[in-house]
Amino acid sequence: MRSSGDTAPCRTNSPRASFRNTTTWGSPAGVTSSESGGAVFPNSIVDINTCRSGGGNGGEDMAVCSRLPLQRFLSASSPRLLSCRNVQAESAAPGPLYPPVLPSRSAKSKSAKRRVLLEFYEQLRGAEPREKIRGLTRIQRMKYVVYPQTFAQGADRWYQHFTKTAYLPGLPDKFTSEAEPHQEQEFEDAVLSELRSLVCNALLQENWHMKKGRTFIHGEQKQYVRPFVTNIVSGLVHSLARTNPVLRLSSLDFDPQVNFYWVHGERTIPRGHRSGRVEPQRFQIDDKPHSQIRIPHQLPEFVPLKAEISAEVPVIQLEPDRLPLFRRQYDNNIYIGAKLEDPCCYGHTQFHVVPDKFHRNKLNKKNLPGHIEVFLRANAITSLYAWTGAQAMYQGFWSEQDVSRPFVSQAIITDGQYFSFFCYQLNTLALSSFSTPNNPRKNLCWGTESLRLYERITDGDVIGWDDNVLKLLVQFLLNKPQN
Amino acid sequence: MAKRLIYPIYQLGNPQLRIFRPTFNMTLVRPGKEQPADTVQFRISMEMTKFDVRNYLEKIYSVPVAAVRTRIQYCTNKKRNHLNQRVKRPDYKVAYVQLSQQQTFQFPDIFPEKEKKHEEGSVEEMQEKFMEDERQRQKPDPRRGGVTEWFGL
Repeated sequence: MRSSGDTAPCRTNSPRASFRNTTTWGSPAGVTSSESGGAVFPNSIVDINTCRSGGGNGGEDMAVCSRLPLQRFLSASSPRLLSCRNVQAESAAPGPLYPPVLPSRSAKSKSAKRRVLLEFYEQLRGAEPREKIRGLTRIQRMKYVVYPQTFAQGADRWYQHFTKTAYLPGLPDKFTSEAEPHQEQEFEDAVLSELRSLVCNALLQENWHMKKGRTFIHGEQKQYVRPFVTNIVSGLVHSLARTNPVLRLSSLDFDPQVNFYWVHGERTIPRGHRSGRVEPQRFQIDDKPHSQIRIPHQLPEFVPLKAEISAEVPVIQLEPDRLPLFRRQYDNNIYIGAKLEDPCCYGHTQFHVVPDKFHRNKLNKKNLPGHIEVFLRANAITSLYAWTGAQAMYQGFWSEQDVSRPFVSQAIITDGQYFSFFCYQLNTLALSSFSTPNNPRKNLCWGTESLRLYERITDGDVIGWDDNVLKLLVQFLLNKPQN
Repeated sequence: MAKRLIYPIYQLGNPQLRIFRPTFNMTLVRPGKEQPADTVQFRISMEMTKFDVRNYLEKIYSVPVAAVRTRIQYCTNKKRNHLNQRVKRPDYKVAYVQLSQQQTFQFPDIFPEKEKKHEEGSVEEMQEKFMEDERQRQKPDPRRGGVTEWFGL
């Protein structure tokens, strides 16, 4: 409607109004027509302008002009003329003349809910990481609790779907293609033999020299393996601090907590007072690794962020309840093992110990030999996703503000005799976000099968020692950021 | 859990005549909610446990079982009969069995849709034809392209 509010009263009054309505010639665009809205320019300027431009045209116009005082528009710098001059410049680049059409905020509609959500996300964009985490985890609702160590069959495929991770067997090129010159080899051998003796001594101490009583059920790992892993981890870190300077600045923690909370996918609530509504699927991981090493600088990426990887992320159409996965409601925590202010805020390596329930002997007795590797993969994928995701959130990235650089971490899962090595690269946190609907990025996890370190221990001797496993362990610990 | 039968007294050296057949039953059912490919759903006797289910399938049918999960479905006691007495629908136990060695199972379609074809010259066939013709007559003119008679002369 053309500013009916403006012209309507004038229409009844004066010939000025009728003149205004009929004029169409060469006047600046924003002025005579209704677009001025009347509020911008007072009526008199309109008249002046039309009079001025119509000065050469008709006697009819001159009659109108003559009523106006002459001094008003004699001075070239009067405010009315100045504001007329600016009209030309503004109309050359017309900005939005109407406010944007937004859906309501309080209506009972999908667009209203969406608008409220998007406004909340806009608010979060400029906040500090602490406030971002608080804003995203404040509201508690029922969520799926993902256990990294699980009995569920086929859990690694399901967990890959939940975390959008592609699994690549084998380790990245960094660890597989090592071309060392001969001189370094000798130096390496000396260091390696020292570390070998360290590990062997720790092994014999726990399993042979120390007299340990019989444990109650499911106590073997706690009594034999956990102290052994503690000893080798602290021993290796402190001896390799010479070769790898970042380990000197690192923080080695035992029994830390790692928590992560995220949202992925949607579901329609089937029954209840909220049936029919669409709800996001929330997940939470609460992990307790045996130990972790955190460093103040980020590890280098294994593969560039935009690289094309052939491995696919498995997509499972069934709901997570079929895995089986259960839902609970409690505090949504995001924690890397230390609080936000800690200078060592990037992850290096985590060590996990396989509990008694999932030990390979027990699984073989239960006729589940295939579950041994599945369990290790599922454990690695979820623990490392939680750790890297929490690291990224500590830096201020979240699902709407995706990571600008990949977050890299490593994990070693062991049951005392068999070691498995895993590397994880977090390329994206935006698993289902409004700002990036079809996100092409995916997270990557490399992993080995379980490699045996030794065959057995007899009479103070370790039989069947495998050096490759120790070398791989050392290589993992020697990984350092580019500085 | 055998029914009480009278067996002859057993003495050392006698042949073992006693047979103990369990009175357990397992019924394979179609899942109500969609299950993964390796999951089979059974309705089992209330007294059975997960170990019973596993042994039953492995020993009698030699089906490799990876995992068994059970739950009890409570059925309503709210319905009332013509004498206003509450009638209980019996509860039952459901077992979800996951097969090992990457085997899969899809519940078959037991009642497939069959095209009913009457014999030639029978009464039903003539009736069916008559009904078909009636339906044809009731349909609007296809040349109008779905537009109703309201928009016309």
